[in-house]
Amino acid sequence: MDAGQVPETGCAGLRGRPRTVVHLNIADFAVAVERQVDPRLRDRPVIVAAGADARSVVHDMSEEAYRAGIRKSMPLRAALRRCRDAAVLPLHPDRCARAMSALFKEAYAYSPLVETGRMDGHLFVDITGTGRIFGPPVDVAWRMYRAVKKRFGFVPIWSVASNKLVAKVATRLVKPVGECVVGEGEESEFMAPVLLDLVPGIRRDESIRLAGFNLVRAGQVAAVGKEHLETVFGVRAKGIHDAVRGVDAVPVIPAGSDPEAIGASRMMGGDRLEIRPVERILYEMTEEIGAYLRARQTAARTLSICVFYADGMQTCRKLSVHPPSASDAGLFETARTLLYMAWTRRVRLAGIHLSCPGTTARRHQLELFGGMDAHLRRDALSDAVDRVRGRFGAGSVRMGRMLGGAA
Amino acid sequence: MTQPKHVCRIRVGTSGYSYNEWVEAGFYPPGTAGAGMLPHYSSVFGITELNYTWYQMPRAEAVDRMQKTAGIDFMFAVKLTRTLTHEIEAKKWEGEVARFRDGIAPLVQSGRLAAVLVQLPPFFGRTPANRRYLAALLESLEPLPVAVEFRNDSWATQRVFDGLAGRNIAMAAVDAPDLPGLFPPLGVLTCPDFFYVRFHGRNAAGWRSGNMQSQFDYDYSEAELAGWVEDRIATMAAGAKAGFVFFNNHVRAQAPNNARTMIRLLSGSGFAVAGGPRSQAARGRFGT
Repeated sequence: MDAGQVPETGCAGLRGRPRTVVHLNIADFAVAVERQVDPRLRDRPVIVAAGADARSVVHDMSEEAYRAGIRKSMPLRAALRRCRDAAVLPLHPDRCARAMSALFKEAYAYSPLVETGRMDGHLFVDITGTGRIFGPPVDVAWRMYRAVKKRFGFVPIWSVASNKLVAKVATRLVKPVGECVVGEGEESEFMAPVLLDLVPGIRRDESIRLAGFNLVRAGQVAAVGKEHLETVFGVRAKGIHDAVRGVDAVPVIPAGSDPEAIGASRMMGGDRLEIRPVERILYEMTEEIGAYLRARQTAARTLSICVFYADGMQTCRKLSVHPPSASDAGLFETARTLLYMAWTRRVRLAGIHLSCPGTTARRHQLELFGGMDAHLRRDALSDAVDRVRGRFGAGSVRMGRMLGGAA
Repeated sequence: MTQPKHVCRIRVGTSGYSYNEWVEAGFYPPGTAGAGMLPHYSSVFGITELNYTWYQMPRAEAVDRMQKTAGIDFMFAVKLTRTLTHEIEAKKWEGEVARFRDGIAPLVQSGRLAAVLVQLPPFFGRTPANRRYLAALLESLEPLPVAVEFRNDSWATQRVFDGLAGRNIAMAAVDAPDLPGLFPPLGVLTCPDFFYVRFHGRNAAGWRSGNMQSQFDYDYSEAELAGWVEDRIATMAAGAKAGFVFFNNHVRAQAPNNARTMIRLLSGSGFAVAGGPRSQAARGRFGT
């Protein structure tokens, strides 16, 4: 496959044709959202912190704060020593979610293939084949940019390329403001001078290893060739070789079909070193996901967790749910195992993201012999709880573990 | 009409050349992708007007790569970036001019820059502030060959024409829908070096739709084009050394189709038309 052709999984009528992907990237998204709410924050250093206590860390910062030396995941106290006049604000996930939703609607007018990041101000829009309706891709991208700027006050960086990887590199290169159009067939030449740290798909340990060979730019690695890379990186060689040449067949995953979209997040302030309070939060998240799945008559086949440590590190783990379940108790069993697998460092947690990357239809087949099995009983209990909550409110029924007792 | 052979060499092309829908419309051979378009285009036409530079500041390395894929005699007109015409920031525009000049440097060096097109928006009326800005902008672009296209009829005065002539700036002659407020289709020569014509189509209903597919969806009849040759191009060509004619009605490849008709009309009227080797033999709709 070429750098940016419509993949086999893409729209049937467009398979094999060159793709056109627009990437909108609102730099320092959490700050931009706060500035949208309070314009007085413009033109001054702003820090959005995860948590409000003294040991909180920087979640995001404005360009002014960045120039003052502040970086993501830096302890807030250290950040304020570098920039004493910075405005410090708590992270508002609800505001970010609303802003992402509005951006999505704006882009959706041009294509049903809109992929949004996780509340990070990134949107990929596949506009392949829309030229006869909306005109040249570069004009469509500019109109999206203009609309976002006019309606929401954001100034997105935008790019047009034949795939997501090149489009993402393009916006990274012109950050914090600007635009970049990479013509079809120009991917390899465009990528050649790019530093490896800016190339998605190349891990940090891989770029360090390549630097050891004096290879720091994409073009240098591409020139080495896949065969030579294989001797050092084995099966990863192909992925690295593709990435440095701007080859990326990953489709834009449309909203609604993104399995990661079924999920729940919690940011945590304060000390989160004790397991039981964290388990209570986790149970609350499984209740959220379970209610979502049950309302759609689906069940989780797999669960995935990402734990975010206060020092900026993160660990992600994934597990199958046996048998597939939509009950809160069934989901929690797997989620708790995942938490133990992921939270292995003696470092406090800044946040958790629990998602459901695989779903299946809910099981309704009864046992041929015997009564209702334990899993079905759990499902029935969750359905009953849903009905009570639907009638009397979300707080009308609570599980004992949520009252602060034994988890 | 019979016109004696004239020293004015006219190049005809289209505004932009990289349109995937031109493959479906038959202008490009099936399967032609982005990088393969210019080599084919330059075998048909002798010039193009780069429109993407309005959206994105040109980058020298990309411009250099592009010019190498075109025929050796091929010329480029380059549209000035929007941050200098539509989205002007008082504190930044001079820096933007410097970036623009850097971006087109490969064309200047190779002698393949036909003109810089300064297309001003409809809201850019003839106010004192805008006059001062335009004067400063044109000065900052010296000594590049420059054409100015107005979209606001307040600029249609003799003083403006004289001002452009005094600076050796071409005023773009524009064919567009007959709508109130739009600059009229004048064939006024303000620069003896070259004249510059843009055909946008006459789709009055789509002009202000905000969608390029509606705005530039128009197919010129041969009579309409012949009228332009007779009424305006002949007059301007009489006083200019060169002429650049562009079709912006890109939808369904109407632009290259109309451009080929224009080449045929100009050649038939005795004008010297420069262009790709196949342009002189434009017989059919997309004659092969």
